[in-house]
Amino acid sequence: MEYIFAVLTFTGITVIGVLGSYLVTGLTGLFSFGQAAFFSVGAYTSAMLVKNLDVPFLLAVPAAMAVGLLAGFLVGYPTVRLRRDYISLVTFGFGEAIIALLNNSANLTGGAMGLSGIPQYTNFAIVWGSVAICLALAVGYKHSKYGRQCLALRADELAAKAMGINVNRIKLVTFLFAAAMTSYAGVLYAFYTTYVEPGAFGWIVSAEWIIIVFVGGINSLTGSVFATLLLTGLPEMLRFASEWRIAVYCVIVLLIINYRPIGIFGEFELTLKWLRQLGKKGVKAS
Amino acid sequence: MAAAVGEKGGQGIMSRLEAKHLSKAFGGVQAIDDFSFSVGERQIVGIIGPNGAGKTTAFNLLTGVYPLDQGQVFLDDEKISGLPQYQITQKGLARTFQNIRLFKGLNVIENVMTAADPYSSYNLADVFLYSGRKRRRENEVREMSRSFLALVGLAGYEEEKPENLPYGLQRKLELARALASNPKVLLLDEPAAGLNPSEVQDFIRLIRTVHEKFALSVLVIEHRMEVIMTLCANIYVLNFGKLLASGTPSEIQNNSEVTTAYIGEEDEACLL
Repeated sequence: MEYIFAVLTFTGITVIGVLGSYLVTGLTGLFSFGQAAFFSVGAYTSAMLVKNLDVPFLLAVPAAMAVGLLAGFLVGYPTVRLRRDYISLVTFGFGEAIIALLNNSANLTGGAMGLSGIPQYTNFAIVWGSVAICLALAVGYKHSKYGRQCLALRADELAAKAMGINVNRIKLVTFLFAAAMTSYAGVLYAFYTTYVEPGAFGWIVSAEWIIIVFVGGINSLTGSVFATLLLTGLPEMLRFASEWRIAVYCVIVLLIINYRPIGIFGEFELTLKWLRQLGKKGVKAS
Repeated sequence: MAAAVGEKGGQGIMSRLEAKHLSKAFGGVQAIDDFSFSVGERQIVGIIGPNGAGKTTAFNLLTGVYPLDQGQVFLDDEKISGLPQYQITQKGLARTFQNIRLFKGLNVIENVMTAADPYSSYNLADVFLYSGRKRRRENEVREMSRSFLALVGLAGYEEEKPENLPYGLQRKLELARALASNPKVLLLDEPAAGLNPSEVQDFIRLIRTVHEKFALSVLVIEHRMEVIMTLCANIYVLNFGKLLASGTPSEIQNNSEVTTAYIGEEDEACLL
């Protein structure tokens, strides 16, 4: 039972990471292969503050998010002006640079050995409460002028500019929002596992999040959440298949790309309105 | 000589959009060469010319898609050339595209709302807290967009995907979207391309309607002469990036240089 809770907690943390990727890649169409680096920034900053400097946890959380925002600004500000393919390259390089930095400043971060002995301040309830809040923020963002402008510039950047949209600004705001959210996920991770090491935050993680977004459907937040549950939760639960995880991933992704390029959920969003309609239909049917 | 004809057209009308000596070269090709024109307040002005004459390039220069090599653009005597594209739009220059460019992934009404979004002043805090200010403004923008859609004849299509609309309606949606950006001058790039004759008449009426309703100045590129000749008070003819002639529709129709540019010269051999 405890094991299942642990798996679900990790899944919840991944959901928040994937939400960040959804905002940047799904909503705005920018491929960020360095998204997991913000995760490591959040994890390491908070862990080092609490462990080395005895900063209270509740202060370390906003501090970690602020450092994540700063890192996001440093990468995002010059990058959003670039063409999309270059954005992927720059974020990729940034992510790997962060990993190298963590590996090479061993006296601060513990290097490749990692940082252990972090107190366990988070649990299942905190993580899933955070998921609910982050989801509410992301939904609000999607259904606002920001979300609309993201979708517009994803579809046609020239036309978006011609409609008076400050494309670079919207991209940067979204990028920063995602960076802060992902840093927060990193905090949750560090204070749940009590141990962080650079290897856990490489570009493969960023790529995995992007894959999840695509499997769920780039137009659907609901899709991102359910695809995370499916792709990270299930393989852990079905322990016997876990070595085949990457193979299963590949097969699922290939199937989706070939047979359902819009993702499992397409543009569907799970809303109260939809549930109500479903309820009405159910009543009628019975 | 051509310029002398041009002076007649915009007589007595205050100039709203003024382009002075626009020039742009792509590599060795002079796409626009010293092109000056003006659009008066509430005036409809046309730009015509054979394919490749530089008409769309002129639009792209006005709206800031390409930087100008030379020349300046003024909107209400304020210099707008050199500003980023989005600021030029916010100053009051809206456009439609020759090859329709709607936002896929947004439905019809959201396409229109997007153009009004840059004027929404609510911020991220309002978004994250689901504030009343955000909700009110969203409703306001939605209602406004709904009225633009109704105006162009797209009522009832709000929740459709733009790519599923028939071509003529997509053109109208582009127009509604341009209107939502609250323009002073509307730039229409071949609005009647691909429309059948009755749709063309419909579109002409529509342009008239919005022109009067919103007191707009309109600059229109068009190949369909019925559109240009019925709508425009003044016409500029471009050929190989240069201004060939300008004047009222009847002046242009009787201009032999224009006929030559369009149809070519009469060959004696053909008359034999």
